[in-house]
Amino acid sequence: MSLLRQTRCVISRRRQVAYLHVSPAWWATRKVLQQFKLADIGEGITECEIIKWSVSPQSLIGAFEPLCEVQSDKASVEITSPYDGTVKEILVQEGQVAKVGDGLCVIEVDEEASDSSDVPTSESPDASTNAANPSQQHQAPERASEQLERSVVVEVQPAAAEKPSVARPPHPLNSNELASTASWSGDSAGTIVDKKATEVEVLVLPAVRYFARQSGVDISLLAPGSGKNGRVERIDVERYLAGGKSAASEQPSAALAPPPAEEDVVVELGRTRYGMWKAMEKSLEIPHFGYSTSLDLTTLHTILPILNANIPQHYLPPSQKPSTPPAASPSSFFPVPAPPVPPASGTYDKLTYLPVLLKTLSKAMHSWPIFRSSITPGIVSSGSKPTLTVRPHSDISIALSTPTGLYTPTVRAVDNHSVYSLASTLKHLAHLGRQDPSGLTPTELPRRGGTLTVSNVGAIGAGESAMPVLVPGGGVAIVALGRARWVWDVERGDGKGERRLKLGISWSADHRVIEGAELAAFVETWRGYVEQPERMIAEGV
Amino acid sequence: MTCTFTRLRLLRRGPRHFSTFLPTEKHSIYVSQSSDPYFNLTFENWLFKEKSTQEPLLLIYRDNPCVIIGRNQNPWKEVNIPALKRANIPFIRRHSGGGTVYHDMGNTNFSIHLPRSSFNRHVTARLVLRAVHSLDIDAWINERNDICVGPYKMIPPNIYVSGSAYKIVKDRAYHHGTMLISSQLRTLGDVLHVSKFEDWISQESMVTRGVASVRSPVKNLIEFNPTVTHDAFIGAMVRVFRDEYRVEEPVQYIQASNAANIPYIRDGIAELPGWDWAFGQTPEFTYSISRVFEWGNVAAKIRSKHGVILSCSLTAEDGPDLMMLEKLGRELEGQRYGFLDKTTSQDGCGQKQQVRQWLIEEMGS
Repeated sequence: MSLLRQTRCVISRRRQVAYLHVSPAWWATRKVLQQFKLADIGEGITECEIIKWSVSPQSLIGAFEPLCEVQSDKASVEITSPYDGTVKEILVQEGQVAKVGDGLCVIEVDEEASDSSDVPTSESPDASTNAANPSQQHQAPERASEQLERSVVVEVQPAAAEKPSVARPPHPLNSNELASTASWSGDSAGTIVDKKATEVEVLVLPAVRYFARQSGVDISLLAPGSGKNGRVERIDVERYLAGGKSAASEQPSAALAPPPAEEDVVVELGRTRYGMWKAMEKSLEIPHFGYSTSLDLTTLHTILPILNANIPQHYLPPSQKPSTPPAASPSSFFPVPAPPVPPASGTYDKLTYLPVLLKTLSKAMHSWPIFRSSITPGIVSSGSKPTLTVRPHSDISIALSTPTGLYTPTVRAVDNHSVYSLASTLKHLAHLGRQDPSGLTPTELPRRGGTLTVSNVGAIGAGESAMPVLVPGGGVAIVALGRARWVWDVERGDGKGERRLKLGISWSADHRVIEGAELAAFVETWRGYVEQPERMIAEGV
Repeated sequence: MTCTFTRLRLLRRGPRHFSTFLPTEKHSIYVSQSSDPYFNLTFENWLFKEKSTQEPLLLIYRDNPCVIIGRNQNPWKEVNIPALKRANIPFIRRHSGGGTVYHDMGNTNFSIHLPRSSFNRHVTARLVLRAVHSLDIDAWINERNDICVGPYKMIPPNIYVSGSAYKIVKDRAYHHGTMLISSQLRTLGDVLHVSKFEDWISQESMVTRGVASVRSPVKNLIEFNPTVTHDAFIGAMVRVFRDEYRVEEPVQYIQASNAANIPYIRDGIAELPGWDWAFGQTPEFTYSISRVFEWGNVAAKIRSKHGVILSCSLTAEDGPDLMMLEKLGRELEGQRYGFLDKTTSQDGCGQKQQVRQWLIEEMGS
């Protein structure tokens, strides 16, 4: 899920700053139990007898390996497994008859494999069934402090952080709403976030929320409620008041408040956390070096309002487009070529720093071919001398933290995008990521990722420095963007100092291919664009 | 591929001792010139597994007298094993499902292999029907895709000339069946098991899982057209197959002698008569019988699965020694059904011997 949110106190002029959190894409392997049903084997067969099982519980089975043999009148059919996994339970014994559609056995598979099949009977119920509202503020103070404590800040999966005793705690950015409009209309734009330990957005009408607060009921305990889309209704609150522990809090998906644990509890690694485990083991192959500096965003900060006032019409959300056409229109003379219309999820009304930073980064990449290159895949493992493949365009991966997992979608050829179109792309990616199941497709997550990765961890916490970790396939370098803050810079203003907006950034690069000096010089090139964005006018942005 | 590997090995060994090359699965039409049922079944299975999945294949063969039971059938129920033994006819379990059939040299078997996606019983049945039509026989297909002959389409009983069975795996399927041309139908009646009527009279019953055969009246094709022969039927089937699947290549005639050197086939031939396949594949069944001895009535209920006795409960009304019966029942557990040790044990009373002897007879093997 993208953490597009409003920063509150840091910048005097209230601006939205978009921060996207980082995590490598392919962490996800959670085990789910899949019931394998007797499919229609054709020939008008409606039921058959199980003759023989080739597997037994706890045996491993590979996809397309024989599972069992069934017989129906004159046909003997061999049924193969659709998944790789472990057979957990056999539901129909030899000699029994199963109808088409009956479950034959239960196989434990990795979750990714189960997308296209029937509803998984997952062991650790998924609390994050709904997407989070993107524009609400999310604070997770304990998460932020957690991140500050750890040196490997960026790769933290916030989801499982605070609730060790629950099998799969809800994603902290998760809420129970499916349509963002619902809570928009319900709550005001600057949505309240209850700054409590259990940070879960709850879909609820303001009146009910008020009632709950008046009654001293923690609304997050009641999610999901009995209303549409899991909305908490008044009756849920009343029931809770009446019945002590409400049914909602016992529902598997509302695994919110952890029961006080008096003894050690063993928790299996959740899907994302296990994915992180595996990715991090792989990342040990890459020798990292770090480099930190801060970028001066003051000039950008000054011009951002101008950019905001001039967002091209086709990127504005429909509500903001002027309803009456202008009195004099350029197309009255000759049809103006229509600009490409972005999807509805790609419209926005406020520009943030991130698209500008990406655009300037791509310009710096243009001057520095090594940062547009990636290690040619397959070379390293084959034992021959490694080579780097230089791409003509700047491909940048963005870390995206979503309720269904952590992804790094890639924006290809950033240098071909304008700042506005980048903003639209980011908004659209965030929207796709928010869907459950994730709307990100191989188009957004190509096998060949970007050569640089950008992680907007500042969106989550006011971190000052980080040591992001590269994973294989993540490019040659990764940068973590912190949170912009106003500081007093004594180096400016003739020694008297000036108030400047500074953004701390931390790079990690693959020292097999990048030299320290190269990275430093590259960052200086980038800084040249970021701190003096007016240059881009002359270069024709 | 095992076949080419074996061939290479043979080449290296110097002069070949075989009259023809080893068969490969690369062709589309095969006629087996062997009448060894073990070979033919295994060869059919080998072609099924080895042939590339998208190409159609036809195999025709005939066997020496034998009884072929379905993959999942109970031989004790279907087959009169002592009668078979007396007639020196083997019974063999095949790989496809369905019921029990009797093969002899008057019966020609066909086997049509197709990719699973395009496999359709009705289509393949119609293929065979066209072949029978071309032999000047007025046959038709019933709703179970069996080929029947006779004027009375709507009125049972249908007279069958062919029985079919099917096997389906991941991406391949076959339809194989019999075609009665000039088979010894009397022997068929003798070796297949007692009818249900007699069971009812004697109050014996074998309750099985698995597929029970459907008894059907059958006739030979020569009764409808005396000129039909095995070769004529082969010709008709091959023609029809060629037309349907546009196959031009020549028919492959296969001898058992050279093909039996393919390891898969060799192993398969060895596996078929073995106890594990022949009896050990039997699904669970319960056989309830009773007998009146001079000294009392004994009822036995034998439960068996995969050819092994799971339990044998012997009960009697007052008279016989119940403890002895119980002990005997327990002794039988774990033994192979129908293969009890016939030697009488030393311990004890004549009653136990008698009961034991009776059980052995009933299990009849």
